[in-house]
Amino acid sequence: MTATRLAGLLALLVIVLAPVVVVLAPSPASAQTATATAATPADIPAVLVSRQAAAALDLSVGSVVQVAPPDGSRARDFRVAGIYEPTPDPSRLGNAIHAVRLHLPDVLALTNPPDAVRGAESVDAINIRLTPGADAAAFARDVNARLPGVAARPATDAGAAAGPFRVLERFHLAIAIVTIIASTVFLVALTVMLVDERRETVGVLRLIGLPTSRVLVQVLLEGLLVAATGSAFGLVLALASEGVINRFFQWRYDTALLFVQVTPSVAATCVMIAIPLGVSATVVASWLLLRRNALRLARR
Amino acid sequence: MIALRFSWRSLVRQPARATLGILGVAAVGALLFDMLMLSDGLIVSMRDLLDRTGFDVRITASGDLRRDGDRIREASSVVASISRVPGVDTVIGLRFVDAEADLPGGAAAAPEGTGGPDAAGPRRDTIDVVFQGVLGQTAPWTLVEGRDPGPAGEVVVSRSFADAMHVGVGARIAVRARCVSRDDVLPPARLRVSGIAEFPFELVGDNTVSGPMQVVDAACGGARADEADLILAKGTGETDLTATAIRDGHRALSVATNEQVLGRLQRNGFTYFRQISVVLSTVTLAFALLLITVLLTVSVNQRLGEIAALRALGFSRGRVVADVLCESMLIVGLGGLLSLPLGALLAQGLDGILKSMPGIPSQMSFFVLAPATVVIHAALLTATAVAASLYPMQIVARLPIAATLRNEVLS
Repeated sequence: MTATRLAGLLALLVIVLAPVVVVLAPSPASAQTATATAATPADIPAVLVSRQAAAALDLSVGSVVQVAPPDGSRARDFRVAGIYEPTPDPSRLGNAIHAVRLHLPDVLALTNPPDAVRGAESVDAINIRLTPGADAAAFARDVNARLPGVAARPATDAGAAAGPFRVLERFHLAIAIVTIIASTVFLVALTVMLVDERRETVGVLRLIGLPTSRVLVQVLLEGLLVAATGSAFGLVLALASEGVINRFFQWRYDTALLFVQVTPSVAATCVMIAIPLGVSATVVASWLLLRRNALRLARR
Repeated sequence: MIALRFSWRSLVRQPARATLGILGVAAVGALLFDMLMLSDGLIVSMRDLLDRTGFDVRITASGDLRRDGDRIREASSVVASISRVPGVDTVIGLRFVDAEADLPGGAAAAPEGTGGPDAAGPRRDTIDVVFQGVLGQTAPWTLVEGRDPGPAGEVVVSRSFADAMHVGVGARIAVRARCVSRDDVLPPARLRVSGIAEFPFELVGDNTVSGPMQVVDAACGGARADEADLILAKGTGETDLTATAIRDGHRALSVATNEQVLGRLQRNGFTYFRQISVVLSTVTLAFALLLITVLLTVSVNQRLGEIAALRALGFSRGRVVADVLCESMLIVGLGGLLSLPLGALLAQGLDGILKSMPGIPSQMSFFVLAPATVVIHAALLTATAVAASLYPMQIVARLPIAATLRNEVLS
């Protein structure tokens, strides 16, 4: 990427993002305190208040809040311009997000020491949206090379760096594997019993001349039908319970996070595991039975 | 007893079916056992860690349990003031500073991926370190080797640090502290390792170096001196009274007893694992109930003629019902017994996965075996066995003897 292109992109992004960047919330570490006050002049600066904070402080659009740094000094009045739903954050699950979003100059005015040198203000992070089709990784590399002291990385990498969730993913996978093993054992036990129940029928079929392979094909098709029906029922059950589970946990944790999501790939994976497993269990159990003598099967 | 022996013979007569049933219950029981261990494991483990530190009260600036919360200023005078509170026995202040230590052999000696998640890729000639300063006379660590550090230029290090740096007691290390921001470039502090210690709250992937506060202050070149992230106090009497007395004298600080910290974690931090444990335990039990019911029902249906014959021979209704119940209890009991060692093995594997989660003390366990866990496990499996046998018991109890025998003869 050339310097001109980089500068052009940056300029474009600053323009695109200006409305977003200027309402950056202070970092949680600054932990500003907000209290409601009675006056409602229209010319005081505006803030956005999170839904949880608005509920806790009994605020509505137009209310005036007093925002101050942790030490309580330099408190200023702000008008609530809106109430927003915080972006769901799994790492803050269980914590009510009491947050206030201020314009960046207002944050700096509240948090910068009075004797701070003008122009020495700092922000924790800058979010950049690239033009469609731009290579985020190449852009991040370019920024890192040109701006020493700045660490740029694509948003996709930042998501992947969420270590706890990768660990939880592995944990859920391990639980799923154990569940599949337990299900398989039960499935084989059930098919052995079901096949055993039909030993006389199978014996008679063999005695009237049907070859083993023909009986096995019939069992295979039957297993396929049962497994497909079971998988479809399982998917319907998962889809039906998805909403219930999400609503329960969203209520429990007061968040907009989605806890369960039956995506096409998840559904496909389940079907790809369930159907071969069901068919295999049926065929293996049947094969063990079909190896026996036809007369013994028919108990003659 | 006779019913139990009879049921045992019924099971042994069909070994494949019985084995599969028992193995299935064992697998489900193992998962249930693990979920029961998980539901309270973190709390039990955290309580153990808190107790092991030997301090009853934790004091922070903002109540934030993370190390990057607000700091307590003028820490030495706060520590001195708290130590004068009636009922307080020992007080120490702790300050955590990000730092890096030079590997003795440079990049060539660096183990793969040293320095935490940021270190993926090329090998580095430094490792990331948590530099901990202690204000007070009591050490918040358990010495494993060597001795406690002296006042000047000496530190103790964690085993993970010693292993990563290939150093032992008496070695000299160079640590560069980043006291104000991650971009700090300070000259390295030359330190001598006086001992290797165990730090109860060392996080997964952390390498800890700890010494007296003046050692950290010197490494920071005096930046942000006399600050503490955390103050720990030990009382001589009732912990709650001690905490209240400290709180009364220091209104600006957040004071919490170990029980309050645990309560907070129970409400917020660890709820996910409790919830998933409840959900998976319920699903597991429902799964086991359904499948054992099906196993027993199919088994009973296949033996209807045999059961009718026994009734005709004089077996009472209660007796044949007891046979079914005993068969269920045997399958679930044997499977349940087998599930305990299986569950313990599975818990080790799952614990290994979860302990790789960043921000978790490395000595903490997600799966902790408490006596109550085994009792609850046994009670739940017993209830499942009884519930699963209800329907087949009903079939057996209502079996028409003459009609069943006639059908059996005709078929």
